[in-house]
Amino acid sequence: MLFEQRARIPVEQRSYGKYYLIFSTILFLGTMWSVWDEVSVRRPWKEYQRRYNDLVLQRLDSLRTEAQARIDSATVADLVAELQKAKEGLSSEEYLNALDQKTDLQKDLDIATREWRFARSRSDATYYAYKKALAEGKDASSLRKELEGHDADIARYAAEMETLNAKIAEVDVLLNRYIGMVDSLQSAYNRMMAEVNALDLKIQRTSSAPVQIRQVMLNDFEFTPFNEIKARIDRCQTCHMGWADELMEDAPQPFTKHPVPELLAKHNPETFGCTPCHRGQGPALTEGFAHGDADRYWETPLLRGVDVYATCNTCHSNELVLKHAKPFTKAKQLVFETGCFGCHEIKGYTDVPKIGPPLNDLTGKTSPEWIYRWVKNPKEYNPHTRMPDFKLTDEEAEAITAYLVKISGESDYRPIRSRGAYGGGSAQQGKRLFESVGCQACHTLGDDQTVRLARGTSYDIAPELTRVGSKVSPDWLFDWLKNPRHYNSEARMPSLRLTDDEARHLVAYLMGQKDAQSLPSVNLALHDEAKIQRGDRLIREYGCAGCHAIKGMENEGKVSVALSDFGRKKYEQMDYGDTRELPKMSKEDYIEHEDGTVSVKRTWAGWVWGKLKNARLYQTERIAQKMPVFSFNDEEIALIRMFLISMTRDVPLPAYQHPFDKRMQHIEAGRRLTMNYNCVQCHTLEEGGGYLVAKYEEAGLGPPPLPESQGAKVQEQWLYAFLKSPTTIRPWLEVRMPTFSLTDEEIGIITKYFLGLSRLELSLRDYSSFAVDEKYLAPGKRLFDVYQCAKCHPTGTVRPGEVSASDLAPNLVIAANRLKPEWINDWLLDPSKLQPGTRMPSFFYEGKGPDETVFGGDAHEQIKALQTYVWSLGARRRPVVAQGN
Amino acid sequence: MKLLGIVLATACLGGTLFAGDVTGKVSFEGTAPKPNRLRMNADPVCMKAHKDPVFSEEVIVNKNGTLKNVLVYVKDAKGGAAPKGKTVLDQIGCIYVPRVLGIQVGQELEILNSDPTLHNVHSLSKANTSFNQAMPMKGMKLTKKFDKVETFRVKCEVHPWMSAYIGVFNHPYFAVTGDDGSFTLKGVPAGEYTVEAWHEKYGTQTAKVKVDATGKVTADFKFTVK
Repeated sequence: MLFEQRARIPVEQRSYGKYYLIFSTILFLGTMWSVWDEVSVRRPWKEYQRRYNDLVLQRLDSLRTEAQARIDSATVADLVAELQKAKEGLSSEEYLNALDQKTDLQKDLDIATREWRFARSRSDATYYAYKKALAEGKDASSLRKELEGHDADIARYAAEMETLNAKIAEVDVLLNRYIGMVDSLQSAYNRMMAEVNALDLKIQRTSSAPVQIRQVMLNDFEFTPFNEIKARIDRCQTCHMGWADELMEDAPQPFTKHPVPELLAKHNPETFGCTPCHRGQGPALTEGFAHGDADRYWETPLLRGVDVYATCNTCHSNELVLKHAKPFTKAKQLVFETGCFGCHEIKGYTDVPKIGPPLNDLTGKTSPEWIYRWVKNPKEYNPHTRMPDFKLTDEEAEAITAYLVKISGESDYRPIRSRGAYGGGSAQQGKRLFESVGCQACHTLGDDQTVRLARGTSYDIAPELTRVGSKVSPDWLFDWLKNPRHYNSEARMPSLRLTDDEARHLVAYLMGQKDAQSLPSVNLALHDEAKIQRGDRLIREYGCAGCHAIKGMENEGKVSVALSDFGRKKYEQMDYGDTRELPKMSKEDYIEHEDGTVSVKRTWAGWVWGKLKNARLYQTERIAQKMPVFSFNDEEIALIRMFLISMTRDVPLPAYQHPFDKRMQHIEAGRRLTMNYNCVQCHTLEEGGGYLVAKYEEAGLGPPPLPESQGAKVQEQWLYAFLKSPTTIRPWLEVRMPTFSLTDEEIGIITKYFLGLSRLELSLRDYSSFAVDEKYLAPGKRLFDVYQCAKCHPTGTVRPGEVSASDLAPNLVIAANRLKPEWINDWLLDPSKLQPGTRMPSFFYEGKGPDETVFGGDAHEQIKALQTYVWSLGARRRPVVAQGN
Repeated sequence: MKLLGIVLATACLGGTLFAGDVTGKVSFEGTAPKPNRLRMNADPVCMKAHKDPVFSEEVIVNKNGTLKNVLVYVKDAKGGAAPKGKTVLDQIGCIYVPRVLGIQVGQELEILNSDPTLHNVHSLSKANTSFNQAMPMKGMKLTKKFDKVETFRVKCEVHPWMSAYIGVFNHPYFAVTGDDGSFTLKGVPAGEYTVEAWHEKYGTQTAKVKVDATGKVTADFKFTVK
């Protein structure tokens, strides 16, 4: 209808105004919307920045209010009033008059100065004419007179100037009194308001801070898969603005301060960016894309929780300990101790000793029935063993036992002493020894779990001995206790320097630790050649040689996949077996149902969790799996999974890496050695370990920590002698440093490790010729007495019962043979700095010693004197080599 | 108009004008452990300082059935600047006097050695910087200030029986019970608070109090030991 009507109107007369209006309105609104969308909706970071600035302003304001409140308002008011009064003084009649007077005087002085200069010029000119006349032989008497007149002028004006200057100085005194008053009051006021003013400045800066993208560009950070240099651009700080701001300690995300500022000291986000550690999509500016969760094609989404430590391994794969990345260190330790590298090739774990004992002489130690029981299910005998469960069938276990028994028959291991030599010990004495000499540092027995709990791992580092009497033969045990290296030349178990009788007591005690369950009475076909052959094959298939030295298997490689790029694997490449699927949104990665079935999230993280929880989880009728079942706890699984995330080949260019220089190599070698021998079980090393201390109420009663300053502390020669054959330093400790029978090379590694931590080079030094300055000897003796050093440090023989044992400190007679002289000085100056928590107090405070009669109390002189005296105590003696406790 | 002025003025100043005292007693129920006799053989100076046998002061139950050396304090209060005066911790006869003390953030603690023997003062503080200083001479003084709220132990390694406890607060509302087991927290501004009573062996007890215009509130605590 409408169109028909309209069609009747001639084209020239038709109006399009209405349409124009409608469409132009739509166009206008569309433009407005697109501008708004572009400027605001698509740029949520702007809102974040505004909110951040508001938050900062709010906190600065409250700080300012607090700062203002701390200032006593009455004092400020008084000060302001005084200042006002002083300023008013500047317009008082006296001041203004004086100022006028000064201006007048200044004017007069200017005139007088000018006249004085003129007079001098005139005098110079006349003098010239006078001299000229004299030279030309003309009459110069009138000139002479004129000259005298000028000189008189000079003198007159000079006198006038002096008088005027004096007058001005007089007026200045008055003026300065006024000005000085104002100045001093003003600066007092400024001092009082300094904090508030500084905050004001910050407030002003924050309120005028521009809203802009903050980005870090790393032009040559890494290689693309095509070996071209690739840049990295991080804009994370556009929203995460408060990472360095103390005020943002407890602020909500994205403004929170970085929780580990120590890490930022070496990885400055302003030059290093954020994504090298946290991953995510650097250039993106909206949350979902930046974190990588919303972008399903982004391969490296943000790492959350403990997983963020995975990226440490990108550059630090060679290192076992990172001081400020405790979870990383723990994960590395887990991989080291549970021996993942036995079957898998893992970056950073080449040339690590096998974690299990050699299996070549087993029948010398235990019975075939025990071996059978053990390989069938190790956890059944010892729930905390590191040996995983291979879920072998009876037949498989029998075959493996047959092979192991066969190679034992070819071994020439025999206990050194004759059969039965172990007899005659007292179990009671053995128990006392077991509990005192330090066996419990590594072995648990019965209910005492202190060290296991302190260690906090799901596995023990040495076998639990609760049922050892049902496992080993007493002849073997006696031989082993006397010298572990006889049975196993690479044994980690040290010698505790036991006498024959002590070893007999221990054998009596340990052989009494029987298992309630008797060994299976199976009839093992041990000499069946077919069985032995089968055992040989099974051992190769299951990769037993990854952890154990086994005769005939010396050249076996790693049986499982290399993990070098495992972190890059996609979940589509993984097989989930018969497990049920967990929805993607689910918070859990893995759920065990009551009916025994398991649900696993179809992600990389879900798969790994399931695999570490139960290595046979994804096994089906058709797909057999060989990886044994470990019993990691959830914390350990999370850490190992974090470690696996790091298994990629992405490495930044060397400029972004910490150089693995000689010093680092020395330190790392030392870490591996001390972890292998488990030194950290007793000693605290690089802030880790020291688990044995948990057995003692006070740290001072446990084995001494080996702080980072250890290399600066002891003489290399002493360390060598001590490690070869430990001597007693702390007689109050019942635990004793065992003899590890270290080789010279191993001692060298430890020495360089300690030196490396102390940032020292190995140097040969003759400490016995260290010169003692006789002048300091007598004052040193005096200070030694006044400061009562001998209250704790014996300097001769200690008679038992004289002082309670726990109160002693090392005998100072050994100092000159043990300690580096410079270290004694550093130690005396501030012991807690070198060894936090030490019982040794500091005697010197703010450069002064308590006794001011010696060297006027000068700390450095007094310390030198004490050092000299302490050094002299043992300088004439040679190393005290006392065997045993 | 005048009335309104007064009302306004009172409302503004109310926060500081209305302040009250929190008083109470810390009672003890049960059997107190027999105090250990301190053997000071290790240091003849300490031995000579006492004629009578000395016993551990870890738990002292007063004659009226109250507990001594309990640190009572307002948990959630804020107070002004630290007072100028100092608090003294003395070492006399190889015993810390007082055994338990409270101090304000920023206030001076003077540690005194009144014994002619070596003492070392080792603070086992965590929030505040720990110190371990020797005081080998009689009459020596050390001055310390603390900047974090915390209760920690102080010990002497030379004489292992010596122990003291220091509570650091950011307000002046704390007290230590004495021989009658009573305490008074003076001038607590009006408001609702949690008051805690802390004992080195028996831990912490809490009570809620409301301080209002009337100005006097009672909070009693009881430590029960089986």
